[in-house]
Amino acid sequence: MKKTIIASMLLLFGAASCTDKLLNLKPEDTLTTGNYYKTANDMNLAVLGVYNALQQRKQTDYLIMELPSDNLYLGNNTAVAGGSEMDALAVNQDNNIVADFWEATYTGIGRANAILENINVPTDYPANMKDQYTGEAEFMRACFYFDLVRLFGGVPKVTTSLSIAEAKTMARSSADDIYALIISDLKDAVEKLPKTIAKGRASKAAALGMLGKVYVYRKDWPNAKTCFERINSEFSFILEPNFSTLWSLATEDNNEVIFTMKYVESSNGQTLSTAYTPNGGIYGLVDRGNEVALPSWSLNKRYEAGDKRKASTISDMYVPATGGTPIFYPYVSKYAVKHLIGTSGLDIPVLRYADVVLLYAETLYNAGDKGNALIQLNKVRERAFGDASHDYTAADIASADAFLDKLLLERQLEFAYENERWLDLVRTGRMTTVMTKEERLYNNVTNQPLVTTLSPKDYMNLFPVPKRQIDLYNPGVLQQNTGY
Amino acid sequence: MKGKNLYLFVWLFSFAIMLCRPFHLFAQEAQEIKGTVLDAQTQSPIPGVTVMIKGSKTGAATDAKGQFSIRATATDILVFSFIGYDKAEQAAGNGKHIYISLQPSKTTLNETVVIGYGTVKKSSVTAAVAKVENTNLDQMPAGRPEAALVGRLAGVNISQARSQPGQAPNIRIRGAGSISAGNEPLVVIDGVPGGNLGNINMNDVQSIEVLKDASSAAIYGSRAAGGVIMVTMKKGVAGKTKFNFNGYAGLSKAIVHNDWITGQEYYDYAVKFQNREYTWAGGDPTIPVWGDPRRPASYQVNDTIISPNPVIWQDAVLSTAPIQSYNLSASGGTDKVTYYVAGTYKDEKGTLRNTWFKTYGLRANVDVKASKVVELGFMLTPSYSKLRSPSVDIANFSKYPSFVQTRRADGSYPKARDYWGAVVSGQLNPLATLDGTENFSSTFANISDMYLKLNLAKGLSLRSSVGTNIAYNTIDNYQTSWGNAAGSTGSQRKSSTINVINENVLSYNTTFRGGHDLAAIAGMSLQRNWGEASGIYAVTGSFNNDIIHTLSNATINAAASTFTKSSWGLVSYFSRVNYAYKDKYLVSASIRTDGSSRFGPNSKWGYFPSASLAWRVKQEEFMQDIRAISDLKLRASYGVTGNFNIGDFAYLGKMKDALYSPNNSTVKGQAQGNYGNPDLTWEKTAGIDLGFELGVLDNRINLNFDYYSKKTKDLLYEVSVPITTGFTTGLSNIGSVSNKGIELELTTRNLVGKFNWSTSFNFSKNVNKVEDLGDVKERIVTDQFGMSWILRVGEPMFSYYGYKTTGVFQNANQIANTPALGNTKPGQPIIFDRDGNKTINSDDKMILGNFQPKAIFGMVNNFSWKSFDLSIAMQASVGARIYNFENEYYSGTLLGAMRRSLVENQWWSEASPGNGKTPAISLNNIASWGATDVLVEDASFLALRNINFGYTIPESFTSKLRMNSCRVYFSVSNALILTKKGFHGYNPEGYTNGEIGGVNSKPGYNTGSEPLNRSYALGFNFNF
Repeated sequence: MKKTIIASMLLLFGAASCTDKLLNLKPEDTLTTGNYYKTANDMNLAVLGVYNALQQRKQTDYLIMELPSDNLYLGNNTAVAGGSEMDALAVNQDNNIVADFWEATYTGIGRANAILENINVPTDYPANMKDQYTGEAEFMRACFYFDLVRLFGGVPKVTTSLSIAEAKTMARSSADDIYALIISDLKDAVEKLPKTIAKGRASKAAALGMLGKVYVYRKDWPNAKTCFERINSEFSFILEPNFSTLWSLATEDNNEVIFTMKYVESSNGQTLSTAYTPNGGIYGLVDRGNEVALPSWSLNKRYEAGDKRKASTISDMYVPATGGTPIFYPYVSKYAVKHLIGTSGLDIPVLRYADVVLLYAETLYNAGDKGNALIQLNKVRERAFGDASHDYTAADIASADAFLDKLLLERQLEFAYENERWLDLVRTGRMTTVMTKEERLYNNVTNQPLVTTLSPKDYMNLFPVPKRQIDLYNPGVLQQNTGY
Repeated sequence: MKGKNLYLFVWLFSFAIMLCRPFHLFAQEAQEIKGTVLDAQTQSPIPGVTVMIKGSKTGAATDAKGQFSIRATATDILVFSFIGYDKAEQAAGNGKHIYISLQPSKTTLNETVVIGYGTVKKSSVTAAVAKVENTNLDQMPAGRPEAALVGRLAGVNISQARSQPGQAPNIRIRGAGSISAGNEPLVVIDGVPGGNLGNINMNDVQSIEVLKDASSAAIYGSRAAGGVIMVTMKKGVAGKTKFNFNGYAGLSKAIVHNDWITGQEYYDYAVKFQNREYTWAGGDPTIPVWGDPRRPASYQVNDTIISPNPVIWQDAVLSTAPIQSYNLSASGGTDKVTYYVAGTYKDEKGTLRNTWFKTYGLRANVDVKASKVVELGFMLTPSYSKLRSPSVDIANFSKYPSFVQTRRADGSYPKARDYWGAVVSGQLNPLATLDGTENFSSTFANISDMYLKLNLAKGLSLRSSVGTNIAYNTIDNYQTSWGNAAGSTGSQRKSSTINVINENVLSYNTTFRGGHDLAAIAGMSLQRNWGEASGIYAVTGSFNNDIIHTLSNATINAAASTFTKSSWGLVSYFSRVNYAYKDKYLVSASIRTDGSSRFGPNSKWGYFPSASLAWRVKQEEFMQDIRAISDLKLRASYGVTGNFNIGDFAYLGKMKDALYSPNNSTVKGQAQGNYGNPDLTWEKTAGIDLGFELGVLDNRINLNFDYYSKKTKDLLYEVSVPITTGFTTGLSNIGSVSNKGIELELTTRNLVGKFNWSTSFNFSKNVNKVEDLGDVKERIVTDQFGMSWILRVGEPMFSYYGYKTTGVFQNANQIANTPALGNTKPGQPIIFDRDGNKTINSDDKMILGNFQPKAIFGMVNNFSWKSFDLSIAMQASVGARIYNFENEYYSGTLLGAMRRSLVENQWWSEASPGNGKTPAISLNNIASWGATDVLVEDASFLALRNINFGYTIPESFTSKLRMNSCRVYFSVSNALILTKKGFHGYNPEGYTNGEIGGVNSKPGYNTGSEPLNRSYALGFNFNF
């Protein structure tokens, strides 16, 4: 009997000895913040994680940067929460698209901050790689804040990892403060980034171009001019002779792209191509589409005959995947490439040389150099029409208003569905006048478009701060934009 | 009266046998004595009765036919005893077949109830424990064990949200208290915690106990917040080997919608639909609907849709399906070794084309009494099951347009676009999808346990056991090039979990002089779980042909492939003391402490105490004269239980993949995936329970009543945090949720005698309330179609939150003069201006109901007459609401199938305004109704869940066939389901978006839960 008691006591003690092991298990299939950011390779992969944040968001940027504008209207086939309010300029603070955008952008900022905070930890950087990773993180952080400040005005300025308590008390900084951060990040990135880098990562030119663009938004013409002239003198970007070169899988890496979001079909594809594809798919390209949005007649009618950009932007005639005779059914064709539903490999450019050219034109004009501004503006038109027959003359841009008309038209035609239109209208103060009505579905038999009347207001130049974020802050900390 | 006569008869009969005894004195040789034990009231055989020779240790037990056989001399006295019956004695006699009837006890108080780490007499239970005996529960066509329990337990809501073969139901014991950490009860199978009811077969189940209150569940502290379901499996009893066969075969038929419209009626509504859309877009609806180029193609209606041979797709994809189940068991043993082995085969075809579920299972347990001191044994429950399921929910098929034919003459599948261009749905023919999809899930699982029990001294024993719970699952998905719009697809996912538990429990029972009973246990438990999962995916469209369906025929999408590996550990110490004084005053107290690897370094341990007491008032002197009351007990308890059902290592900030493709080559970039929280600790539920048990009129009427109140605090939930932290949520211990309710169980024996009728009725009402959400008062999650679900302090969890509608806008003039959302058009709902400020915005949203029922009812009626028996189980639920988004599919969008009940009342134009309450429903105007109560429907129901009619073939006949007993039965499941008139779903409990599982839950959201099946089965159960 005693033996059994002793045996059972041993059993209990034996079991007790392994409790420590049971309670202090470690993850086997993933690293944690405790053991990550230790090597140069960790940092490299984390930098790719920052690009990932923009790459993921970029696919739906059109919902907030194109849909409210006069370029695009919502289709009937796929419901997108908050989409109809965007389309009707009736956005309220509960809008899902606005909240998703805000959150996706800050996710990217958080990832960039993590790199900058840990950049000094690894000791095994190959030559210049520490600078490159720093520059990439700064560049990406600047891009994210640039998007936020343009859409929302001043936002909370986060540059380090925040505890939840700290986050709840952090109010919005002024737009000027945010711009100051963007400019300092980009300036440092210009210093640290290499001239050449893998496609899809940020180079020195990307930082210079983005900095120039920021200066244009700030109307800081001298600094903008310096940036664009450095791009012209230090790099060899060109306007690709054929506009269609930009929108082909085979030639998506070309001499016009300065910074782009890379996608690979299947493994890392984008949903944008499918979103713009009509429900019945496109013959030879894709079996079905989501037809989230369709091109407005307001834009469609502005392409002059001979403008080669039209064919790579909107297709008027449509052949569904099942084939048949083409019917009149305009759809956005800029991203229409052969792809599997929901995962297209076509890159989405963030900054291409045509943008630099037109921003440079704008800069020159505003700096008083009308002659060179005209040359730059005509460069883009000549590429579009294949010759100088549609060039503007000095008389066309005599007044500042006239120049702005021509510039905005050119930017609309050139960058349709590249998320520039709404921001251009807002920054030039034209939103409230242009957006009073939008011609949408066009009947090619009666030659009449269906016209939607809108009532844009000044306050709509900024989107509302998402209520679902405001609610998470201590009361009164995160202030709403006026009008919402 | 008849019962009394029978009672008299049995005693006279017994008395007569006693008188006969002396005549058999000469037969002293031991011989095989056989007999049958019957219930004195019903005359039905009683299985499991212990038969002992008085004054010896020789014993046997009756089989399922109530028969026994024992070696005894003629003068030996046989003692028959069984829980719930009075003891009876009878002489063995000289070899004649003995028939003995046992009288049911006036009280059922001697029945034992399984509680954690032990059993107690039912009369001594101090907590809220419900028990269901498997009498004929295995003799009904229920896919899983849970289905047989529906409506039988108060406070236990078993709801079948999905009706696919093999699908597990939701079980909620006294409401849901956790947001993110799960509300599933802990399943303990023969003492092994963490099991899955899907892995066992009802045939092998002896009884199921549910530990409902915190005090009874607290002994399983760590994971018992959702309640505990204790399953006791059948065991062998000493005696000759008994075989039992139970099998049924039958048919299942889906309970479907029958108001689909076709032909001219369908065409007319399609025209109305297109005209409405066209008018909204600014067009002129007087332009002819077809062939006039002034009308854009997308607003036209081709009259090809008036098909001469319309196809109702719901009916095309559903068919009557065979089901069958067979179980054979053998049990027996000696006084040293007893065993029970069983095998099961079950084959359930789904009513949806190409769906089925097959199970093969074994069950074995062996118990050995090696010596007075040493007992040991083991059990095994291996099972293999395979499931074929569709790729999408049935609604995707039901909504397909009726003008499309099922197959062409050449066997190919036409699709809607083949009839008419891009205006109609681009979806593939449903039969192509169903025939071209092969989704299989196969699982091999085993629950096993081996134990060693040492009887150290009188009343003192140590039981040490090692249990394992193993599951290997493989999911193979394949779609042919013609079965999926995007091209051929394929994947293979494998997962395995291995769970090992070691438990060591010291038990001590003693009785002191003066009526003091003491039982105590102390124990420890060590548990470790290993989990692994991998997934390999084909590049869509990359299968070289449609012949070979394995991934070897495709290009692997390396970036999509996954591999995870994880583990958790749990260390627990526990102790419990039960004390009773004169069987009158009962006290029980327990304490358990658990440490889990899932929590932060500073907060791994949780403490879970409990205490309960009961007063058996009827035992008091002063109650003895009150004859009407045959039993009365008062109970009170308090206890704390815990929950750790979050992911492994959730307290750490884990890195996750964030893919990017520089130079077009995809790399697994990295990013922090979640907010680390080193202080993460146990979620705890503290609850009280007050109850009484009352028996009146010789326990002909038994009433159990319980009031409970429990509060779950330190909720483990993904609290929303400002995104400026880099994350939208952070797992924290914040907030609390309460559940309060009452339960009533009324069991009555209405008629006893030749014709027996007993009823057990139960009622439960639970009030679920969010008590605290930390810094915020509410949290809202909004679906893409507009409906929101809210967590708001003072309201039930995840209530629907949106606009209340008060009518339908008839024209632009009315819109101009009424507060409305921006962009409102005629036909869209008028929204109630809740705050009366003449503008409609999100401040006007309000709570529109909840998916949880306000009250549930269950009633089981059992009848028996001679050899016939009938059991009817009913269930009712009141007050639950379902967001039937599915209705939208049948309202006309993309000219899909339409249901009359959904289109006839709609607003179509000012001239055709419907019933004035139902607004225009289309995808295009979803912003106007998606966030309103328009599709929130009352899902109250009354269901006749099961009718079981049986006939036990008379002994005289079965004995000739060398059978001990044979019952033939006919069973109908889901015989009748009555729902409210305005309810449009297939299943009143059906919703597709899952139940509560995290802050972004959208419970009650139905986009097409499957129809319930009405199953008819004919079965046989015999012993030999």
